[in-house]
Formats: sequence, structure tokens, C-alpha cells
Amino acid sequence: MPNLGELALAVALLLAIYSILANLYGARNNRADVLQSARHALWAMTAMVALAAISLWVGLLTSDFSLAYVAEHSSRSLPAFYKFTALWGGQEGSMLFWTLLLSLFTSIAAYQNRTRNPEIAPYALSVLAAVAVFFLGMLNFVTPPFLLLAHRPPDGSDLNPLLQNYWMAIHPPSLYTGYVSTTVPFAFGAAALITGKLDDTWIRTTRRWAIFSWFFLTLGNLFGARWAYEVLGWGGYWAWDPVENAALMPWLVMTAYLHSVMIQERKDMLKVWNLALIGLAFALTLFGTFITRSGVISSVHSFTQSGLGPYFLSFVIGVVVVYTALLIYRVPDLRSPAELESYLSREAAFLFNNLILVGIAFAVFWGTIFPILSEAVRGVKITVGPPFFDQVNGPLALALIFLMGVGPLIAWRRMTVKNLLRAFAAPAVLGVATGVALFALVGLRQWYVLTAGSLVGFVAGTILAEFRRGVVARRHIVNETVPRAVANLISKNNRRYGGYIIHIGVLIAFVGIIGSSFFKTQVKQTVKQGQSFAVGPYQIKYLGLTTADTPHMASATARIEVLENGREIALMNPARVFYKAPQQPATQVAIHSTPLNDLYVVLAGIDDGGRVTFQVFLTPLVLWLWAGGLVMALGTVIAMWPNVRERAAIAQALKAQRGEDQELAADIARGVD
Amino acid sequence: MRVRLRFLVGAGLIVAAITYLIVAGIQSTSEYYLTVNEVSGRRAALTGQALRIAGRVKPGTISWDPRTLTLKFAIMPPPPQGKAGVTPVTQADPATVPSFRVICKGEPKPDMFAANRDVIVQGTLGSDGVITATQVLTKCPSKYQPSKGS
Repeated sequence: MPNLGELALAVALLLAIYSILANLYGARNNRADVLQSARHALWAMTAMVALAAISLWVGLLTSDFSLAYVAEHSSRSLPAFYKFTALWGGQEGSMLFWTLLLSLFTSIAAYQNRTRNPEIAPYALSVLAAVAVFFLGMLNFVTPPFLLLAHRPPDGSDLNPLLQNYWMAIHPPSLYTGYVSTTVPFAFGAAALITGKLDDTWIRTTRRWAIFSWFFLTLGNLFGARWAYEVLGWGGYWAWDPVENAALMPWLVMTAYLHSVMIQERKDMLKVWNLALIGLAFALTLFGTFITRSGVISSVHSFTQSGLGPYFLSFVIGVVVVYTALLIYRVPDLRSPAELESYLSREAAFLFNNLILVGIAFAVFWGTIFPILSEAVRGVKITVGPPFFDQVNGPLALALIFLMGVGPLIAWRRMTVKNLLRAFAAPAVLGVATGVALFALVGLRQWYVLTAGSLVGFVAGTILAEFRRGVVARRHIVNETVPRAVANLISKNNRRYGGYIIHIGVLIAFVGIIGSSFFKTQVKQTVKQGQSFAVGPYQIKYLGLTTADTPHMASATARIEVLENGREIALMNPARVFYKAPQQPATQVAIHSTPLNDLYVVLAGIDDGGRVTFQVFLTPLVLWLWAGGLVMALGTVIAMWPNVRERAAIAQALKAQRGEDQELAADIARGVD
Repeated sequence: MRVRLRFLVGAGLIVAAITYLIVAGIQSTSEYYLTVNEVSGRRAALTGQALRIAGRVKPGTISWDPRTLTLKFAIMPPPPQGKAGVTPVTQADPATVPSFRVICKGEPKPDMFAANRDVIVQGTLGSDGVITATQVLTKCPSKYQPSKGS
């Protein structure tokens, strides 16, 4: 099997190189047969990469420790589920997994465009194949996943215990899917630049890919935060570590992109900006891999350092230089006939939201690479920690939330002050009322929290106003109940209302972030069996310690009872675990979640005298962050869903096409959504 | 054209505000990131400052009190790196390498913490040469060396 995997990767590399050349040749000489052969090569490449992945999976599941990767990332006693996930538990496997996703997406894009977009698709597929060549080159020559050990060890050294967690099983695949799928819109953007077909074909063709990518980047970040929260045991979910920043930056840029392409589709503006954004998003996904794998930036997650760093850096620089040169070359053709007309327009709100999103991404980037910069310029490494990111991004987040309320309600082109006041009066009242209520009833005094609360009220008001307006309009025309009107509103205009649902999710998550960042408290207490102590409104009683021993791990689990107003509300089991193969202890926190707050218990120490020490965090509203993330995901699915009108338009376009009316077909296809 | 200019001014103001936030943020939150060798070279100048110090846990110096959550150990420079990714197991003579004592109170001992592990200590250097840490971060390798004697 190992030899098979190695061979498959070599063949895949050759197929990818062939596909680049065949796509270019076929497109230049109008040879449909060559283009078809190029597509077939991409599908064969995908089959080869899949074969390699399967052989590594077989090695992991059968504990074939003659493979260095298997010996280093699994053990006999590792549960089969984690043997499966160990494919992305280490560097070589991660690269293979990344390449597998890339080739799958490339194949799908090749299939989708087998007849569509004949002018740009071959070039886009060449770009995709070129990216695949880079990754396959790494797999063949720099981080080969099928290295054999000279001496087959009796057992493996196990998967990192921190990775033996179900969030870790789904977090990397989500994030990688998000990362890798940015390549498709990027490739079509690059193809538009190469061919000079600079209308919005490339955007329309890859709109779903971009939303798909954003969906998985959102989930990837969310699952990563959840994993950090559950596993790392420090009571938080986000530490502005370089690895986290690397995942956040593409998300921010893709968010900006998804908004600014709407302006291009509607108003034919911001063409250069959109092309720049998608290039930036793609470069950031590579840059993220570079900083986490190269070791140039110290991170708590310092992955295995390897020779990968310089290659990634060269590739990122190469991509950025070539892409920027192409973009500059095409700038004269990208001038837009339309112009911004007024600050009081949706275009302006979107433009400023874009500036702020990219500004946040830049601040995160700057803070992340600052140690390298300061060392290069001043000769000393200076780091900035979480306070920097909080301080810079806090005010920017407020501005962004504000614009999120303004954008959807304000009209395209220009709005009169009178209409503006009418549209925003009710939401503004709601916002002020929220702020006043937080001040007077809840007793909050931090200006930031009060501002944030008011803004959340205001934005929620604008979204409600939008739904209300839609429902009233529907009920005016058709006689239907309010819930039915809401359901119809969403399903008939899924892209628009899916977007609003995402905004609601952002608000809910924002509330969670504010609550958990500003009002977290912690208590440390050493107790004997039977003793109890207070944490906020809760009384915690230590009942005793249970120990267990299996071939895979040994554990000590504390049993505690949580009382509120003298009534038992939960039994919790924080534990310390010792993984035997790597000789590695691990903390297992216990979390009791309610919508109001999370009780987060760490078994921090066990002494010889039977006393244990607990570290307990009481964090308000954390649940809102996860809930908000899920609402965002739901909204994204709704926005991605093919809607009835769109399908009808496509059907009509196909009919027109059969009737040889190419012109009409193209017009209808363009008119879709 | 006048409209275009107005927008450029607006965008310029936003960019200026973001730049200001970044510059001010860096000035008020930055910390030196130093290795143990660098700290021992500039000890006097660094006393009392917020630092992040990267080093390795010196074997035989760890003491952990689970009741008060007090972790004491000494931090030393890691041995010179060999081939990329491979850390030589050979130990430098403990008597000659510079090291600093570290005290961290009130935090659970990190899971990955052990002798000869690479750590980042966040804290201040006292005039007595002891680092009072607010946080000890362990680097988590995604790949394990088979445990030899640790």
C-alpha cells in the first residue's frame, strides 16, 4: 500500500502538469478535444490523490508502523475514529488532505464548466491545476507522507492528546474546506485577468463557491474556538494566537468580498477592488499555512517545523507578484462607468464596511507579523498580545456592526434625508432604549458595553423593520398568515433574507463575545471531600475522586455537585487524564452551560493529602457565541439554496439554447438572481 | 468629480483612523520577546519590564504545589538547533548555561509542561533575577519524540 500511495502522488503530479498545458493549448487553438482531455486529466489526478489518501488511511487503520507517519501520529490503542482523523493530525497528512480537497474542488469546477464559460474556464482550470502542482510537488519532494522507517516500532507514539477530541475531528476539515475552496473563485478571477474577459462572469460563476467557502471558514473558526474552549482549559475560546489569526484573516476578507461583489453585480463598480480582494483571500490562506508551518512566528500551536516554510513563502510571493502585475496591466480596462453619488447610499455603506473589514484583517496581519518586522527593523523581537488586538478591533467592530444596520436599509444610489429619518427612526429608538435599559436596569457602566448594546438594539431593529416591510407587502397582495408570509418571504428571496439571517447570527454572536469578554470571573479553591464553596450564584460541593485505568489512558475524575438556591442543578466531572503512549497528561474540563452563563470547572491540582484544587470560571453568555455561529451557518445555507425563480430562469435559458437562441439564453442566464 | 473627492476624503479618514488605532495599540501593548541568552545579556536594562521569554525547562528544577497552584522552575536556553526539526538530545553542561528561576502563582500547571520542554514565560524580571510569571505557555508539538527517560 505505501508504494502505491507514493506512486499515485507521482502520477497525480504528472497529470496536473499535463492538464495545465492541455488547457492552455486547447483554449488558444480552440480544440474541444484537447480541452476534454485536460478535464479528464484533472479527474484522473483526483482519483490518484484519493488513492494516496486511502492508502494512508489504510496504513493508519491497520496500524502499519513501518510508515513513519503512522508511527508518529497513532498507536495501537488509539480509537479507530481518531486513527481516521489522524490523517490531518500531522503535517504530511494535512498536506495530503489539503491536496485531496483541492483536487476534488478542481474536478467539480471542471465538471460544472464543461460547456459553460468556454472563454475563461480553461484558464481557470489551468490556474487550479497550477496550485495543485505546487501542493503535489510538496508531497512528492518535501513532505512525503509515505516515508518508511528502517526499524518498525512495536507501537506508535500516539496522536497528540489535544487532538483526541471530536471538535478537533471536524475543525480542521471545515477550515481546510473553507481555505481550499477560495481557490476556485480566485482561479476564475485570475482567468478573467489573463483573458481580459473582465465582465462579472467570473463572479457569477463562482458566487456559490465563495459562499460555500465562507460557510466553511465560519464553521472552521467557530469549531476551532469551541475546541480551544473545551480542550485547552484556560476558560477562553480565542487568544489571538497566530494560528487563530491565520484562520480569521481569510474569513474577514471573504466577508468583504461577498459584500462588494453585490455592488459590482448591481452597479458595475469596484471591479479592481473585487479582483484584489479574491487575490488577497487566496494569498492569506497560503500565508496562514506558511506562518503556522514555518516556525518564523512563535505560536502556542507550534507545529512541526520543516522545510515547508520557504516553499510556501516563495509560492505566496510568486502568486501575489504575478496576480498584482496582471491586475495593474488590466486596470485601464476595469474602469467603471458608474460613480458613487452620495454618502447616503448603499454603495457607500458597503464601501465603508469593506474598508473596515479589510482594516481589521490588516490590523490582525500587522499584529501577527510584528515580531518579524520589529526584529528586521530594530533588531529586537517585540510582540503584541491579545490587548493589542482587543484595543484595535474593539472600536472597528462597533463601526462594522453599525454599518451592518445601515447597509440593508439604505437605498441604492442616493437617499433623501427625509426617507432616511423615516427608515431609521424606529430602529434608532430601539437602540437607545436598549442602551438605557442596560444602564438603568442591568446597571452596566462600561461605555463600550453600553455602545455595543445600543448598536445591537439598533441593528436588530433594522432587520426586524426589513422583515416587517416584506411581510406587510406580501400580505397586501396575497392573503396569508404572518408565519407563512415570513416563510414565503425567505424562500422566494433566499439570497437577501439568508443574508439578514446571517446578520442576526452575527448580532447574537457579538452579544456572546461582549458578555464573555467583559464579565468573566474566576475562583480558585482547594477543598477536601465534602467541602463546598461559592462561585457567583452557585454553590459547588466536592463529592470525591474516581480513578480509572485502561491500556490507552489513566484518569482521575472529580465528582462535584452544583447547587443554586439550595437546589441541585448539575453534577459535573472535571478530570485529569494521563495518555500512556506519549506519557502526556491532559486536562478535561467540565462545562455547565445555560443561556445566561457557563460554569467552567478545571481540576487544577490533586495533592497527596486527598485535597483537590479547582479553578472555576463563570463566563456570561458564551452560549450565545455558539448559537450565533449556528444561526450564521443556517443563514448561509438559505442564501446558498437554489431558489425557484433561479431554477425557472435556468430552465428557460436552456430551452432558449435548444432553440439556437444563444443571445437570449445568455441574457436570461445573466439575469439569474 | 467633487463627489469622488468627497469619497476619497471619507475613505482616507477611515484609513487614518485604523492606522492610528494600530500605532497606538502597538505602543501601549508591546512586549519584548527574548530568549534566555538575550535576557542574561541585558539583565539590568530589562529589570521590571513586561517580557516574553522563550526557553527550555531545566531538568531537576520543577516544583509544583497543587494546593496553592504555585509552579517553580528554572528556564535555560535550548541547545543549539541541529537539522531543521530535529532537536539534538545532547545536553549542554548545566553549570555553564545561564538560567533564570521562574515563579508562577495561581495558574494550573500546563498539561504539556515537563523537563526539557520549550516554554514561553510571560512576566517581569525582578532585581533578584527571578521571573515572576503571569503565564507559562508550553509549545505543543504535533509530533512526539518517543519518550526517553522524561
